[in-house]
Amino acid sequence: MIQDELRQLCRRLLEDGTVQVVIGYGQSSDDGPTYPVFVTDAADVDRLVWNDQCFANLTTYLKRKEVKALGKPAIIVKGCDERALAVLEKESQIDRTQMVVIGVACEGVGQPREPKCAACDVHMPRFSDHVLGQAANTPVEADRRYADLEAFMKRSPAERMAYWMNELSRCFKCYACRATCPMCYCERCIVDKNRPQAIDTSPTLKGNFAWHIARAFHLAGRCVGCDECTRVCPAGIDLRLLNMSLAKAAEDEFGYRAGVDREAEPIIGSYSLKDKESFIR
Amino acid sequence: MSEIISKEDLLRLVDQWIGQGKRTAGPTRIKSDVVLYAPIRSSSDVQLDGFIRPRNSIKEFIFPRHEKLYGYKVEGRKIQLFDAEPAVGEQLIIAARPCDAAAFPILDHVFNWDYKDEFYNRRRQATTIVTLACKEYDRNCFCTSVGLGPAAESGSDAMLLDLGDGSYEVRCLTEKGKALFAGKTGTSDKTGTVPPGPKKIFTKESIDAFFAGGYDNPEWQQMTLRCLGCGACAYTCPTCHCFDIVDEGNAAGGARVKNWDACQFCMFTAHASGHNPRTNQGQRQRQRIYHKFEIYPTKFGEILCTGCGNCTRNCPVELGVRPVLETIETLSVAGGTKA
Amino acid sequence: MIMENIYKPELMEIIQIQQHTSDVKSMRVKFADPERAKNFSFKVGQFGIFSAFGHGESTFNICSSSDWKDFIEFCFRRTGRVTEAFWQLEEGDTIGFRGPYGNAYPMKEWEGKDLMFIGGGIAMPPIRCAIWYALEHREKYGDITIIYGARTVGDLVFRDELAEWAKRPKTRVIQTVDPGGETPDWKGEIGFVPTVVEKAGLTPKNAAALVIGPPIMIKFTLPILAKMGLTDKDIYTSLENRMKCGVGKCGRCNAGPVYICKEGPVFTLEQVKTLPNDY
Repeated sequence: MIQDELRQLCRRLLEDGTVQVVIGYGQSSDDGPTYPVFVTDAADVDRLVWNDQCFANLTTYLKRKEVKALGKPAIIVKGCDERALAVLEKESQIDRTQMVVIGVACEGVGQPREPKCAACDVHMPRFSDHVLGQAANTPVEADRRYADLEAFMKRSPAERMAYWMNELSRCFKCYACRATCPMCYCERCIVDKNRPQAIDTSPTLKGNFAWHIARAFHLAGRCVGCDECTRVCPAGIDLRLLNMSLAKAAEDEFGYRAGVDREAEPIIGSYSLKDKESFIR
Repeated sequence: MSEIISKEDLLRLVDQWIGQGKRTAGPTRIKSDVVLYAPIRSSSDVQLDGFIRPRNSIKEFIFPRHEKLYGYKVEGRKIQLFDAEPAVGEQLIIAARPCDAAAFPILDHVFNWDYKDEFYNRRRQATTIVTLACKEYDRNCFCTSVGLGPAAESGSDAMLLDLGDGSYEVRCLTEKGKALFAGKTGTSDKTGTVPPGPKKIFTKESIDAFFAGGYDNPEWQQMTLRCLGCGACAYTCPTCHCFDIVDEGNAAGGARVKNWDACQFCMFTAHASGHNPRTNQGQRQRQRIYHKFEIYPTKFGEILCTGCGNCTRNCPVELGVRPVLETIETLSVAGGTKA
Repeated sequence: MIMENIYKPELMEIIQIQQHTSDVKSMRVKFADPERAKNFSFKVGQFGIFSAFGHGESTFNICSSSDWKDFIEFCFRRTGRVTEAFWQLEEGDTIGFRGPYGNAYPMKEWEGKDLMFIGGGIAMPPIRCAIWYALEHREKYGDITIIYGARTVGDLVFRDELAEWAKRPKTRVIQTVDPGGETPDWKGEIGFVPTVVEKAGLTPKNAAALVIGPPIMIKFTLPILAKMGLTDKDIYTSLENRMKCGVGKCGRCNAGPVYICKEGPVFTLEQVKTLPNDY
């Protein structure tokens, strides 16, 4: 069973000092929710669990200084989380030699399954140091990947605007979306800067539109579609649609999907003479 | 003898209120798994059952997320200030949870601590709160640990208890409640039954003992490692009330506004000089618990928490007040062993 | 009837600006409404929240004496968005003011005592108000000693007043700069404030001290004051923390259980020692 293998592996890694902390999932009761845990003692590895409630993208903790202070980590990743590692590595935010990545084969999370799982082509981790379990990475057609977005885009511009005004009116700027996202690692977020105050901090329609559009653009070509931002939003805002539109643009225009090819240069951080220029008019 | 009202009559009363052009809010189902308190335009929007409690609280109807304090206009060297009379018409909140209503008698203290915040007071006076007693609770509820319960009456103008037969017992608790239901109820010898509520999970004594053991206790870092520093707990909490004041506008004018803020953000206490008294998340989490369970009771005699569980339900990583207090209880009882 | 609004400032006109250093200015402001000017009063030690409309508010101690009518003064370092906005203002411009907030120096309790005013750098302004008050009620107080230091000569503020104070009866003024901060014509002391306090060989009887400055300066000054016989009840300071509302509601400025805006900013050392490291 993956969970037993996981615990054995982590016990070994902690006992022989390969890592000082395991960043994984814990669960206080069988029917309860899972949550991130930080195991520093080999005697505590039974706190680690693996099941289809393991939603969190733990890679977001690699930037937190409180976690960095614990020492060299082993981190547990699903295929979608592993894509985030590839992006962070290319953006020079992590040093893969200073961590142990434990990939876990995943058939999907949530009951019913999260929307992202239906079009997942990374069930089996591809760049981890250890891989537990088995799964197949069947390629997925792009139109399946963006099916929800394409359905949405059939609405008229006026309908779509009304939809976003309704969605974003519920936002109260808790920034759970930002906090949970591995790619939001700026030491000082643009909304926290006041010279100038480029984005209103107020939870007004203006402030909310500015925030969410800015964040979506800052994630263009970087978002791996883990959808954690959407899952954690207390107001139930459909953030994945926003991020998906820019991810689709990255794939349509540049053939690029964040974190899929570990060697690919990030599209915002590189150029190629083959880049399409059709959108420059 | 008790007063009762049928569900149809209750909804008719809500529609009458709305028909008078008065603002109304209640639990609404935004999406299949998202119930939020929101303004409603008809009684058919109200969700009376099928969920434990909405994800947000009702504080936003008395203490808004965003409020204009006053406007200013700049003409050369002259500045003109414009009073902002907040739109405060009568409003009704229907089917609130007892743990939401109980927040207001608690918050009354800080908003009137010598200086009276009339933005808060006026809305408070203009609001009638009708609560719906709870029939069930989940693992996140801990109202009983803070002196409340599924039918706690504090802050309610009237309380409804589901009789299970399509009608509700009505307990009018204040003049506002009586005025709302006057002539709308019948009598009955049935009364609503209320579950005992969740078992207590901590005692104030344990928390006091933990804080007495040291403000800079390293356990704070340990307990709160997974906190990501967002504001989901504070903003969905019925009693959290920290706020920011900022100017918005341009060189010709604008407004000074008050927005919700949260002690969990890393910039909350940052000085302009660059000094920040709270540089790690453990210290910031300590502040939240300390404010709710030590500072507020010492100053105002009440715990700044109603045990609603929203903080944990909305936390991306299952933190919030309850898990932290459970850990403190374990540490206090066990005499400081690791969590 | 207009709703009472505790967050709305009163308009004030800048009547004088004095630049003290490359990044410190003080401003003298008066109420735009003459009626308000007449009925306004405050106590030294209290602070105000000053507005640069369009940019925000900032908290500053009112650094003028409470006896001076028709205007108040505040002093600031150009640091962030709001202070940069203040820096760009000129005499005749309008700002906002909310206050007076907080508690005050116990000028009545200090009557009959020898007073020691010890400050470092930008901490002189919150001491200046108390100094002027004491000097203008000279007969009520004993010996007055003022020890003020900064990193360099260029960082000293209110230098003209320091010279004036030294001329007052039974008033001793010692200025110092950190080693390396002196200019060729510097006539004052060279050394850190705590060292200078010790060197001054003071023998106060029945004294109170007001000490404001960087934490390290305070830390090393306190033992020297203790040696002189001052207890924690005799030593006062003024704390600062990030503020927004100033009226005890926004939850930002507390140091442990104490709201600096409502229960401070003036504290005895005895009180400060009960506060956790939260400011």
